[in-house]
Amino acid sequence: MKPATALRERAEAEAGRLPALLARADQLAGTVLLGDHGRRRAGLGDDFWQYRPAQMGDSKRMIDHRRSARGDQQFVREREWQIAQSVMLWIDQGASMRFCSEEARLPSKIERARLLGLAVAILLVRGGERVGLTGTTLPPRRGNAQILRLAQSFSVDAPQDYAPPEHRAMIPHARAVFISDFLGDLAEVRLALTKAADRGVRGVVLQVLDPSEEQFPFRGRTIFESVGGTLRHETLKANELRERYLTRLAERRDELMTLCRATGWQFGLHHTGESAQQALLWLYRALDGGTS
Amino acid sequence: MTVLGGIGFASPWLLLALLALPVLWLILRAVPPAPIRRRFPGVALLLGLKDDESVSDRTPWWLLLLRMLAVAAVILGLAGPVLNPNRAQEGSGPLLIVLDASWAGATHWSDKMELIESQLTEAGRAGRPVAVLRLTAPEPLQFQAADVWRNRLPGLLPAPWAPTTAQVDQALAQIGAAEGGFDTHWFGDALDYPGRDQLIAALDGRGALSAYQLSGAVLGLAPATFEEGAIQLVAKRSQPGPAREITILAQGRDPGGNPRVLAQATAQFAAGETEAGTALSLPSELRARVTRFEILGQRSAGALALTDDGLRRREVALIAGRDDREGLELLSPLHYLEQALIPTADLLDGALMDILPANPDVIIMADVATLSAGEQEALGEWIEAGGMLLRFAGPRLAASDVSRQDEAPLMPVRLRAGGRSVGGAMSWGEPKALAAFPENSPFHGLRIPSDVTVSAQVMAQPDPTLADRVIAALSDGTPLVTRKMLGQGQVVLFHVTANAEWSTLPLSGLFVEMLERLAVSSAAKAPSAADLDGTTWTPLQVMDGFGVLSDAGTLPGVDGPALAEAPVGPELRPGLYRSGDRRLARNVLSADSALTPAAWPDSVPVAGLTVEAEMPLGGLLLSLSILLLLADVIASLALSGRLGLARPTTAALLALALVLPGAERAAAQDSDAAGDFALAATSELVLAHVLTGDSRVDDIALAGLRGLSDTLYFRTSVEPAVPMGIDLERDELAFFPMLYWPITPAQPTPSAEAYAKLNTYLRSGGMIVFDTRDADIARFGAASPNGRKLQDLAAPLDIPPLEPIPGDHVLTRTFYLLQDFPGRNTSREVWVEAAPPDAEQIEGMPFRNLNDGVTPVVVGGNDWAGAWAVDENGRALLPVGSGFSGERQRELAYRFGVNLVMHVLTGNYKSDQVHVPALLDRLGQ
Repeated sequence: MKPATALRERAEAEAGRLPALLARADQLAGTVLLGDHGRRRAGLGDDFWQYRPAQMGDSKRMIDHRRSARGDQQFVREREWQIAQSVMLWIDQGASMRFCSEEARLPSKIERARLLGLAVAILLVRGGERVGLTGTTLPPRRGNAQILRLAQSFSVDAPQDYAPPEHRAMIPHARAVFISDFLGDLAEVRLALTKAADRGVRGVVLQVLDPSEEQFPFRGRTIFESVGGTLRHETLKANELRERYLTRLAERRDELMTLCRATGWQFGLHHTGESAQQALLWLYRALDGGTS
Repeated sequence: MTVLGGIGFASPWLLLALLALPVLWLILRAVPPAPIRRRFPGVALLLGLKDDESVSDRTPWWLLLLRMLAVAAVILGLAGPVLNPNRAQEGSGPLLIVLDASWAGATHWSDKMELIESQLTEAGRAGRPVAVLRLTAPEPLQFQAADVWRNRLPGLLPAPWAPTTAQVDQALAQIGAAEGGFDTHWFGDALDYPGRDQLIAALDGRGALSAYQLSGAVLGLAPATFEEGAIQLVAKRSQPGPAREITILAQGRDPGGNPRVLAQATAQFAAGETEAGTALSLPSELRARVTRFEILGQRSAGALALTDDGLRRREVALIAGRDDREGLELLSPLHYLEQALIPTADLLDGALMDILPANPDVIIMADVATLSAGEQEALGEWIEAGGMLLRFAGPRLAASDVSRQDEAPLMPVRLRAGGRSVGGAMSWGEPKALAAFPENSPFHGLRIPSDVTVSAQVMAQPDPTLADRVIAALSDGTPLVTRKMLGQGQVVLFHVTANAEWSTLPLSGLFVEMLERLAVSSAAKAPSAADLDGTTWTPLQVMDGFGVLSDAGTLPGVDGPALAEAPVGPELRPGLYRSGDRRLARNVLSADSALTPAAWPDSVPVAGLTVEAEMPLGGLLLSLSILLLLADVIASLALSGRLGLARPTTAALLALALVLPGAERAAAQDSDAAGDFALAATSELVLAHVLTGDSRVDDIALAGLRGLSDTLYFRTSVEPAVPMGIDLERDELAFFPMLYWPITPAQPTPSAEAYAKLNTYLRSGGMIVFDTRDADIARFGAASPNGRKLQDLAAPLDIPPLEPIPGDHVLTRTFYLLQDFPGRNTSREVWVEAAPPDAEQIEGMPFRNLNDGVTPVVVGGNDWAGAWAVDENGRALLPVGSGFSGERQRELAYRFGVNLVMHVLTGNYKSDQVHVPALLDRLGQ
């Protein structure tokens, strides 16, 4: 098979995945009603703000003749200043995110993370914001085409087991959304968040976990392997490890929350067993609260 | 082979491996179960965690037990266990196998043969020469290789008799002639017979003697007798044992000629008794068809009883020429005949021509001289077809001219006029005695009592044929009984009267015996040797030891006394014998024979017949171990959580649990719906129309019935509820007094079940109003599509002849007085059930007295529903006519509808008003 046809075939397969993700994200986003967030002062925008008397320096074309014809004074129609924010997304595409507990038939973590990321992107684009990815691959842009590009880049799995957060090329004073299970190296996360804080970027950290990762329902002689296969741990009595595992998980979450508090980010926790809409609402509220 | 507790082991040393099982237990406990591999992202958090103790989870004890059992089964299976191991047969040297080979062993013959075959096989293995001696057919002893005898085994069959004295002697001689010593295996039939002790002594002297015989009792069936109106059956058994019930089958041919069981009876052996009797009451027709009785489940000649004339009651018609002297019974010509025949024959009374169609076996005419030509012809035909006419002389015959000049066809001889009288008060000679019966006479052998005398008789005319026809004569040679064969039948004339007027013959036992010999009557009991003296019997069918009847072929005849008394044997085989018209059955057992069980001396070991086959258990045990290991696989998988079955199974079970009540609910809803329908249709009067499938027609029909219902409600005491549409296939029709059936060319023809329902509906008083809605332009010809459809639809219906509605039909006056029946169309052609052809108008009465009941159909084409149709608010849906005359037409349509419903509900009530003037008239007086 020629490389071109193979590429085409893969592209078709990928493209086949997109509409489903897009449709579900669209559907999810449709449950949240929103509008442009005005700046509450005159500026560039579509919405009427106020009429003010024409002053020196206003060009003739700015005069609103409909209003001015009612009297002798000339008025200028001002619009509310609307500004678009840049929001950068980072969805953990690592292999560990591909985990799902088989018994419960839940979606994998990465599926849920992509869904939430894309849905919030759709909401933000509808809200007039610019949305992109952290790093240099996809800088923030407006418009529906950006959604398509986001969906496309979400459908690429990362090779490494635990992907580190991307913190390059952060736009100053922008907003950021990090969605991951945060089971990898915390030092990378710390680095990314402090760097973001340095640049005045604030945002949201959403930890997505599978229920079995919270409960550790294992017994007997077990060899645990990471999804990518790089890490392994053998135990003779898995149930003996439960308490210590849970302690470590709680410690890690505490550390993460402390980090968020220090850098002014918000921390959220989502389990794949819960509904995606709940997480999306929280996510959007968290972002909205930050912007207005 | 080592035998442990009834189970033999081919290699018992392998059992020592069982000792290793506890060690295996310990090892299996020590080894931890295989680890489970799990993908788990949280492993990053686990790194560096140590187990508290290094002992893993133990394998559960039941899994260990399962594995232990599997291993134990393997060890046991490999050790080669065998259930019922064959013990080696002791002994060497020649072997004699003695068989009773009588009927008593026939039922279990195949078991016996299997046992003999297995013994022959062993003898062949041991190289012992074998001889076989059948006591019922003794032959010289031939010691041959066992294989030779194995090939001859199928030829060894039981004989239908027990070893006779002659055969025992013969067998003793054969044993004496054999040289050297030999062991003997005696397969007895559990019945004793004379000479057995000598045989035992002779065989015991030659070597080891062991006996094999069935432990149960031998069953036999004595010949059936007919007493007290029922067939008496007696079953016998050789050993008194616990109470036992047996079934006796009466086999015979049905009217189609096929052999079948005609009746069956059960006999109960009381505990400790050896005889069981039962009575079987059968109609004589059926009784005559029974050919044999047999005990269910037995397959021997002794458990079978053939029937003969003893069960067959002949039908004898008695006709007397002189029946005008009432009260003189002893003088009645038929009295002695009746007395002689009643115990053994069924008597018919009546006129000759009435009796002949019943086809009796014998017709006896006592002193009947002349017969009409028709009677003579019919009687002649009956004789030629095999009937037997027995005539007695008497004064009338003596006085008549019958057979005087020429021999009458129904007389065996010519008669001389007047007859003769000897030894009377007015005559010289002594009364004559009977001469001995000649050789060719059927009476040959009967003893003649000395007190039988003849004092008067009719005389035969000497003819060339006379000598052949005389079968009994007086001492002076004058014929007393003459016989003539006629076709397949015969005519017999007793030259004396049937009463004691002319002779003392009817008073003697000889008379009865002579009737028996003539097969007029049949003996109720088995004949004794004396009864059969002088007769020769040829075998018809003989049976083998299994009780199977076969054609006798060329077997020689048997003397009567021998048949009655000699024991059965090769010369007298049990079976069915025949002499002339009589049939006699000789059965293996007689009424008084007893079944004596065989006794063995204590020195002879007696064994049963059953052979328990060897059964290797190794394969079973190995399969069991494989099954156990499979279970172990599944259990291990389940333990390690890799059994993916759990979820789908539970899901399926859940789904099933959810679906089942759902289905029940659906069924319940169906029955609820039917119940609701019935309630709605019956709680009030409901008019109904047939659903045609054309929604517009259906809507109009429903609206029309609604309009009619409203009209009825307003104007009459009939208050119908909301009308209904009826699906003929589904709905019950019986609730509705009237069905309105609009015809559309496209409507489906109802199914056969629906037509059955419709016919039931019509017969039970329902009415169907067919409306072709085409103004009857074709007058019910085939020209209009609706008319054709109506013909199609109504063809399977049970509809009486129709006529156009006559002017005095009750429909014209049930509520309104009407002469027209318009709907949206105004045709007068409305057809109803035709008046009976005898209906006539009585002078002075306005109406004919017409048929009762309601016309089952009204056929018209006026589209009444269209005229009646109203919407929900009571406004007319469709226009009728034009202007006021149209409204008048609609009004008339309503009136016709009211009349229709009134007619259905009140029937011929208004028709009865015809009689009102007459009733009033009567009341006035």
